[in-house]
Amino acid sequence: MSNLLYNNSNIYLFVAVFMLFCGIAGLLYRRTLIGMLVSMELIMNGAGLNIVAINRFIVPENPYGLAFTLIIMGIAAAESAIALSIIIIIAKRYQHIEGGDMKELKY
Amino acid sequence: MSIGESIFLFAVAVTMAGALTAVFASSIVYAMLGLITAMFGVAGLYIYLNSAFLAMMQILIYVGAISILIAFAIMLLGQYSRKSHDFKAVGKLLSALVIALVSVVMFIRFVLTNLPGKTAPNFLMTTKDVGRAFTDTLILPFELISLLLVVAIIGAVMLSLNSRGDK
Repeated sequence: MSNLLYNNSNIYLFVAVFMLFCGIAGLLYRRTLIGMLVSMELIMNGAGLNIVAINRFIVPENPYGLAFTLIIMGIAAAESAIALSIIIIIAKRYQHIEGGDMKELKY
Repeated sequence: MSIGESIFLFAVAVTMAGALTAVFASSIVYAMLGLITAMFGVAGLYIYLNSAFLAMMQILIYVGAISILIAFAIMLLGQYSRKSHDFKAVGKLLSALVIALVSVVMFIRFVLTNLPGKTAPNFLMTTKDVGRAFTDTLILPFELISLLLVVAIIGAVMLSLNSRGDK
């Protein structure tokens, strides 16, 4: 029972770390802001998986990890809406959505 | 290897392949599809972590809301993502190599040397416990999330309507 593959914590933590590094590399590699936003969502998914795995294997007597992951999902939804509206403004202002040329805050 | 372990490894492989596609696909639409694939894989991992409610919320919120939002952004702003001057394949290769090396090092260091890991015999937290925590101890963050969503909606509408763009 306890030596099944899905009953130990390391593989979940490894997948979470892999998603974190993929997200960081996407933030470095992508040029458009939408690609960076996709990478941010990957990082948030990895963080949620990490928190739920820790809550399942290390502190299994309280549900706060699950609650915090739900809070992360709500924050990710709000962040995506705000970020996409800001990207729309940037597209109107600069006529492109690449992050390299944005050097001023006035619009 | 039992059938449960096979399905678990399939979920892990789907998650990792989706993450790699979301980062290294050349088209942004393929990147979005890779992100959706990774989210479905994470939902499967949540089911293996004995929290099915969280898996359903993952599919509803991430796949059903955030991915559709990103799809709308791609459809609205596809004309503005100008044909970028060709990517340096060196940078792509270097970042892929860094991801692969760091992940392999961490895999060997933390997973393979300690494969049984930390096992937990039972996890008795159900949806009832999560709801009780939200309405008992975490009532202030719960209400603040609703306030945050309202502020985000109003802010997104104001930003999109009142922007003095060059249109």
